[in-house]
Amino acid sequence: MILAQATNPIIRWEYLRDEWDKVRTALIQHIELTLLAVALGLVVASVLAAIALRYRWTANPITTFTAFVYTIPSVALFGLLVPYTGVSRTTAVIPLVGYTLLILVTSILTGFRSVPPAVRDAAEGMGLSPARRVFTVELPLAVPYIITGIRVATVTTVGLVTVAAIVGEGGLGRLILDGLRRTFWTPMTVGASLSIILALVLDLSLWGLGRALTPWTRRGGPQRAATR
Amino acid sequence: MILVAAAQAVRRDIGLWEWLFDAGTWTGRNGILATAGDTVRLCAAVIATSALIAVPLGAFLAHIRRGELAATWVVNVGRAIPTFALAGLLVPISLRWGYGFEPWPVFVALTLLSVPPIFLTTFTAVSQVDPVVVDAARGMGLEDRRVLLRVELALALSVILTGVRVAAVQAVATEPIRAFLGGGGLGGYLRDGLGQNNDTLVLGGAILVAALAALTGAAFGVFERVIVPKGVRRLRRAGDRGSSHNGEDHERASVQVSEAADPVGSLQLADGGLR
Repeated sequence: MILAQATNPIIRWEYLRDEWDKVRTALIQHIELTLLAVALGLVVASVLAAIALRYRWTANPITTFTAFVYTIPSVALFGLLVPYTGVSRTTAVIPLVGYTLLILVTSILTGFRSVPPAVRDAAEGMGLSPARRVFTVELPLAVPYIITGIRVATVTTVGLVTVAAIVGEGGLGRLILDGLRRTFWTPMTVGASLSIILALVLDLSLWGLGRALTPWTRRGGPQRAATR
Repeated sequence: MILVAAAQAVRRDIGLWEWLFDAGTWTGRNGILATAGDTVRLCAAVIATSALIAVPLGAFLAHIRRGELAATWVVNVGRAIPTFALAGLLVPISLRWGYGFEPWPVFVALTLLSVPPIFLTTFTAVSQVDPVVVDAARGMGLEDRRVLLRVELALALSVILTGVRVAAVQAVATEPIRAFLGGGGLGGYLRDGLGQNNDTLVLGGAILVAALAALTGAAFGVFERVIVPKGVRRLRRAGDRGSSHNGEDHERASVQVSEAADPVGSLQLADGGLR
């Protein structure tokens, strides 16, 4: 132990080889939790946003509610759930989903509200049914805003997943706590660095996805002017 | 040994309310008052440091009309910082450089979390001060420094304070991670409760953390009322009502209001912190 202390560098590369299984498991769990939380968040946020757009008076209460959830300290929310859902994945996922809602609902609402009334009228005039109008005209125009929201939500969630380590889940956060417990810095460095890298990689991928989905935004020109 | 510590900490069979309303819980070296004080002290230092960095920088860049790019960059980087991971990364480094286990890693991580919202609100608020007002100030013969201090900053103050409030609430809400990184503060109850499988401590700790964050927000609300000059408050109210008779002016006023409201909105989006 004392010997280990004496040679306790910030990172020891052999660790990555020797305990790669552990690192990989943590990384996979981190990605799983992030994607699960953002996907569930997107489903819930879509429903909430649809309600807010359909029944206008609900928009304010819905935004206020999601903003309220967002302000609950994450450590506290994880803690509050432990007595009810135990040290489990559910305990980790519920707060993670909750924290994505404000960002996602806001971005979906902003996206749909940014659709110019003229475009909506034109779609209606062409005889599109409301459902088709929403999915083939309004949704594509709202996509850039929604993707931005998903990017922010994802990056935030990657950071929050590390905190979920305190309730036993938490992917790379487990490595951080593990390293701390063993007074062995390498897992801490690896866990922390990988979670930062993961956030950047996911953000970049989603940015690329957004660009691929909306080729018209790159051309600039009249379409762009119209969406202003 | 762990068992002994547990027995000393809290009896297992004690109820939540019993624990929260027991005088012994609040006083003493590990009492709520002491640990909450610990948290508040660290967060106050964090916010003071962040404001000292972010307000002058943001105001100056906005004053010389530079740094749009810096503002966007700060927001993007700010939201990508996972505070817990960053603090974890800093623990070994802090030890290596001889700064000890804590609270420096968490202090640095929280400061990095708090600078972006304060910088962004300062920059946006000073940028959006009505150019007509600035021209008038210059026309009255105010020197450059005074234009910035007496006019631009004064008018931007309430928005800047909103940024400071967001940062402070965020810092107080995130600080409990310190306990999980071997430090003190209000997060200790949660950590011990989770470690000892004691729901009373977990729930009590969570409630205390949430309550302190809410209290911080409320305290800043009061602080804002006290510190923003009466004239500026009147001006803002007039702007909010869009009380001008001229249609064009009205439009501009409402654009300004909506833009002024936006930094806070995008702030909420920008905050990548862990609360």
